[in-house]
Amino acid sequence: MGLSKVININRAGYLAWYGVLLYLSYLMLLITLQYIPARLGVAFLLTKEDVTGMLHYRIAFFTHVYTGMFVLLTGMLQFPAIIRRKYPKLHRWSGWVYAFLIILVTGPAGLIMGIYGNGGLISQSAFCLLAALWIFFTLKAVLAARAHQFAVHKAWMYRSYALTLSALSLRAWKWLLVLLFQPRPMDVYHVVSWLGWGGNLLIAELLIYYTFRKSLKSRVESLESKG
Amino acid sequence: MKPAFSIFGVIVIACLLGCGGSMIKHSDKDAGDSLSAADSVRRSPDPVLSADYPATKSTPAIVVKTEKDLNGYWVGKFKPDTDRQPLAAGDRDVWDYANLINVSIDSITGDKVVGHSVVAGNYRPFSGTLQKEGSIYKFVVKEPGNDKYDGAFQFNIAEGDSIVRGTWKATGSIKIPSRKYELTKRVFTYNPNNKLGYRRFVDWDKKQKVTTSNAEDDNTYVDTAYYMTTQDLYKYNASADLLTQEQVANLKKPDIFILRNSIFARHGYSFKKQPLRVFFDHQPWYIPVSTDVRSLLTPLEKKNLELLVRYEKHASAYYDTFGR
Repeated sequence: MGLSKVININRAGYLAWYGVLLYLSYLMLLITLQYIPARLGVAFLLTKEDVTGMLHYRIAFFTHVYTGMFVLLTGMLQFPAIIRRKYPKLHRWSGWVYAFLIILVTGPAGLIMGIYGNGGLISQSAFCLLAALWIFFTLKAVLAARAHQFAVHKAWMYRSYALTLSALSLRAWKWLLVLLFQPRPMDVYHVVSWLGWGGNLLIAELLIYYTFRKSLKSRVESLESKG
Repeated sequence: MKPAFSIFGVIVIACLLGCGGSMIKHSDKDAGDSLSAADSVRRSPDPVLSADYPATKSTPAIVVKTEKDLNGYWVGKFKPDTDRQPLAAGDRDVWDYANLINVSIDSITGDKVVGHSVVAGNYRPFSGTLQKEGSIYKFVVKEPGNDKYDGAFQFNIAEGDSIVRGTWKATGSIKIPSRKYELTKRVFTYNPNNKLGYRRFVDWDKKQKVTTSNAEDDNTYVDTAYYMTTQDLYKYNASADLLTQEQVANLKKPDIFILRNSIFARHGYSFKKQPLRVFFDHQPWYIPVSTDVRSLLTPLEKKNLELLVRYEKHASAYYDTFGR
């Protein structure tokens, strides 16, 4: 069952969502490009001078920044049904890249960054939990795929990519909240550190709930009609 | 897809890509670089004042009893003496073009007077004559004339009085060719504990439209939000306390901007930017003394400045963008 049937949007709406996703990914690319060549004292790092002296923080930060785009893009390839059906090899290979980067590279890097996160315990706990869940969901998705439990695989991938997309939603929330309320910078940071991924995960859970309920229902119905 | 539709699509995409840069970062031309001049206007340091506070032979006497008491800083509003209408600032405020001026009498030998004036970020030497007629000291002094805003002062003070009254006429033709003033003598001392008064800083030139909704009648209004400080400004003193990253990280840009400039103001920095002038001219302790105070900053102030500049840069480039 495709996403579009579950949330009942038409083709144009579907394309519009992809357009938004691509545009925000493009903005992420521009943010990434600010750190090429690798340098301190720009953008986000202006607020991190207390920790950029530590080698492990610098390694974690630049790893996270440089791999982030690939995770976003390989993740995007997982969802269109056409790729899964017609190009299963592409699906599998990009999926492996996606999972490898999250579980072993940028997820752990995110965890290290979370420990030194701005805004004290409120946002540090949010970012550490985000990184831990990100690795966990992705690992579960890989294990489910290896066990050929594809419905379960799909559910874990929804959760995993919901957290991947927090890179975009956190920044979009921040933009929107500042536009609407002009809050203090660290106040808005506290809010988006939770809202940025919490909202996405809630949407993912709703999608999973309705997908599974419907697919279970249809399976029961087909069994009944056979019986 | 119809061709017109796809062309429209291409244009929309091109526009979005074009504004992508400003969605993630504003150019931060406002932020000012680390320890340079306070209002981020670069000027050559003036020769007399860059090393130390000026050593005028000022006496602490506020009332002029003898000729010696004339030495020192005479400070007050430098008001236009024209029929020029006050400048409307925002919706509810006006500015009458008056700046705080410091007319410093540096030395009197015989009938020769040497001094300088500091106003609106402009330090100008002057020289001229002093005549005593009866009990009244009469000054006629001139600025060199090689600056657009140079002119000639005429002022008097009676023996036993504490107020200098006078006029000023510009040499060249400028917007406000004549001014008047009443000055009192003030002694400048650097005091890191000088507090900012409860007066908001507002930059009437920087505004943006905001929509506010009214719960009572369910309507939305377009309002104007100015660039202004908040109550947070009064929590900290950037000359007396070492600011922490946590404190500065949660300040909005106008508060950081004024905290930073208050460091320079306490040293008597004369501001070129009008909104800053209006704000600091109203602080009771403030006297414009110099146009370059960099060498006078304390180690604590330098540390605070570095932190404030970093967050000011971040705030002006990233506060309202798609990013962190």
